[in-house]
Amino acid sequence: MSNQNVMIPTVGKLVQVKDIAPEVKMFGIELTKGLDNGNSTYRPGQFAFISAFGSGEAPFGIASAVEPGGVLEFAVQRLGGVTTALHELAEGDSVGVRGPLGNWFPMDEFKGHNLLVVGGGIGSAPLRPVIQEVAANRSEYGDLSILMAARTPQHHLFLEDYPEWENIPDCNLHLTVDECDEDWKCEVGLVTDLLKITDPKPKDTIAIMCGPPIMIYYADKVLVEMGFSPEERYVTLEARMHCGVGKCGRCNLGETLVCVDGPVFSMDQVGEFLESYL
Amino acid sequence: MDFISKKSLESWLASVAETKKLYAPVYTDGVLLYQQPNEIEDIVWDFSRPVQSAKEIIFPQSEKMLTIEKNGQNIQIIENLNNDISVIFGVRSCDARGCLVLDKLLVEAEPVDHYYKTRRENTALVGLACEEMGDTCFCTSVGGGPDNSEGLDVMLHRHQDGYLVEIVSSAGEELFNGIEFDRQDIAFNERRFEPEFVLPSQDLLKSSFDSEIWRSESERCLSCRICAYVCPTCRCFDVRDEPGASNNGTEIVERIRGWDSCSGEAYRRIAGGHNPREAKADRLRNRIYCKLHYTQEQSGMMACTGCGRCIDSCPVNIDITEIIGLILEGEPG
Amino acid sequence: MITKKIQEYASSLLADQVVDCVIGYEVGPRRTTRPIFVDQQADTDRLVWNQNCSHNLTVYLRQKLNDTEGRIGIVVKPCDSKTINVLGAENRIDRDRLHIIGIECEGILEGNVKQNADSGELQRRCLACDLTEPLDMDYMIGGSIERKNLPDNSTSNKLSRWLEKATADDRLEYWLSEFDRCIRCYACRQACPLCDCPTCLFEREDSIWTGSSATTKDNRSFHLGRAFHLAGRCIGCGECQRACPMDINLGELNRVLAREMEEQFHHRAGYTVELSPITTILGEGR
Repeated sequence: MSNQNVMIPTVGKLVQVKDIAPEVKMFGIELTKGLDNGNSTYRPGQFAFISAFGSGEAPFGIASAVEPGGVLEFAVQRLGGVTTALHELAEGDSVGVRGPLGNWFPMDEFKGHNLLVVGGGIGSAPLRPVIQEVAANRSEYGDLSILMAARTPQHHLFLEDYPEWENIPDCNLHLTVDECDEDWKCEVGLVTDLLKITDPKPKDTIAIMCGPPIMIYYADKVLVEMGFSPEERYVTLEARMHCGVGKCGRCNLGETLVCVDGPVFSMDQVGEFLESYL
Repeated sequence: MDFISKKSLESWLASVAETKKLYAPVYTDGVLLYQQPNEIEDIVWDFSRPVQSAKEIIFPQSEKMLTIEKNGQNIQIIENLNNDISVIFGVRSCDARGCLVLDKLLVEAEPVDHYYKTRRENTALVGLACEEMGDTCFCTSVGGGPDNSEGLDVMLHRHQDGYLVEIVSSAGEELFNGIEFDRQDIAFNERRFEPEFVLPSQDLLKSSFDSEIWRSESERCLSCRICAYVCPTCRCFDVRDEPGASNNGTEIVERIRGWDSCSGEAYRRIAGGHNPREAKADRLRNRIYCKLHYTQEQSGMMACTGCGRCIDSCPVNIDITEIIGLILEGEPG
Repeated sequence: MITKKIQEYASSLLADQVVDCVIGYEVGPRRTTRPIFVDQQADTDRLVWNQNCSHNLTVYLRQKLNDTEGRIGIVVKPCDSKTINVLGAENRIDRDRLHIIGIECEGILEGNVKQNADSGELQRRCLACDLTEPLDMDYMIGGSIERKNLPDNSTSNKLSRWLEKATADDRLEYWLSEFDRCIRCYACRQACPLCDCPTCLFEREDSIWTGSSATTKDNRSFHLGRAFHLAGRCIGCGECQRACPMDINLGELNRVLAREMEEQFHHRAGYTVELSPITTILGEGR
């Protein structure tokens, strides 16, 4: 393992390109030999670098739970050079994948607990494999509450998954938007408002957040007020990365590197850095 | 130690240059740098330190990591490792120490950086001990010393009309294998150099996070990145795909990595525009902390070798020793 | 004498709340002159004037004006005042928010990144300068300096004279060997008050215009491209060259193009508040 050059991507094929929200596409990538030449599987929370050869590579959270021989899914928002190049690709095109990278949600530690999953915008993508894993192993986890926020109804990434999620036993799905249309039947407001409405109880509950830095910051404050301890609040962070393996030094929060010590953290690990992360 | 005259050393250097790439301090248009000398006589023997550190050779400003060949959707990826066998002559202790820090970050911490490791393994370092410390030098305050041989393969100590040879490693022994020394078993008198100052403790550093120092000291910063580029231990890089020359319908892409610095404005800016270190104060603080605190925590070794290059090169005189002084005083500048 | 006057004047500006901050010079612990931002009256005694005040302080104006609500005081040399004229012509700063403290300047000495020079040669750009007073200011500090008897702007040194007469091949060889030392730190760009694009064309992440490596080819594109972007705008402060860790002769490169601008377009940057004649304005129906 340590003899491999981890900067060399594996070549994969785009087998799925789907519009799921404005400027967001869900890519499905098939790797003939699986990740890392079949050596490893991956876990919820991990990420990978996707290459649009010629334009560059960028890190994305893996947005699907592990399926043997299955396809890796990534939600890609078009924001810059690499993501624009990716958005111009079609089914059948070749891309590069480097991963899995980073650490993962400690799902084993979450077993037996209630889960409160809080997602905002494009940030909700890494939370999808968590929900899928819980659904596939339902009896091992307590109650599941899912809170998803987005700018408008169309900006919700997983509208197609929501009906399925609503049908997960002992699962409550709460949605909110900043601005809505007349078809919208759910809440209007920020995720912090949604948290206050749903009023989760911290007892035996783990909270998991992912979203824009400012959302995490304020949502975390609300959870603290509600009595969640630092060990009960998990987050997956993003930062600009170039190597993803702890060499280029860029993604540091203090002496912690988001790419190798994270991206999954509990608040007792990174709470003090949150403000400087904004 | 054994003694070798300067003349004999020059012959030895000439023979090294025949089979390996020899780098030595040489003036290039008035700027002293580690470069391949055209003539052995061009090598400078009396100097403080070259503008750039030895890092430039084992971790160059840019290098091609991969060649990617695209034929339609058929992709071939070729790793590009540099196989030069090199000797860097005239390495100062601070630069050698810098290599040790880079070793910790890029080789000892998994996964291994293949590009750095290959160059490092193929490069021998022959040091020249400093006889005195410069105005901006402070190696003695960060665990090093002007004649410290850590990280070198051979250390040369000036003695009369030549040098005493301290063989440090087996690679060094191999380099000098078969050499006829002019004199042998000369006594070596170690010199004592005192630390310039005492560093702030890790706790004091941590507690200075919200200090006013960062804002006041960074206001004149131009975010020019020179400090990181001349530093023997700064190794932050970015990775880009750039077009290579196409070849008969095959599109060639080169994946290149190049130096970058946390002092640069766009360093942590992500697509979409969010930049957690937009303020210069945040960037200065990150850089100083990385040098004095974070790398120590991550690897056990401090990332500052006290070479003083950043102090000499900063166009607006931002000075790490001055900042250390302010932190020790516990009050803003 | 000038030092004392600057200190007193800055103190009064802050006391009367005419400005929020005065950007000037101080001498640091290692006897190096460097920029200082004074926003407290108590700190005005740190302000100095000497012949090592090389920095073009206008490089800080845009950011500082963004960060403050009020007005900014700034110590300005004659050359720096030309920058302010160009920045004004390009609508990059609001002149009304500046309080310019003009200094009568005898010239700045060579070699002061590391340490103040006590005496010695004047900087190359000072030898070529025809001003003793800033062109625009709100307050003037200085004794009366005897009008300098300056050599002709164009060929006042050996290198310039050689470049004027050298063949194109020789000139190319000279400039490529200069650019070969470049390590792409972009300090020249950062030190320049007029280089202020949100994303530098030559450092875009898609490397679409020039590669990021410090190779002859890519360095040449960067330096020549940048010189052309500055032609007709660069006022010749020379800070790019002073900042460069590799001593690349950027001052001379910019001077060559400035001479071309004067000869071909009869334009000298910064003497009035007007755009360079080779500026193209995009948009608005074009």
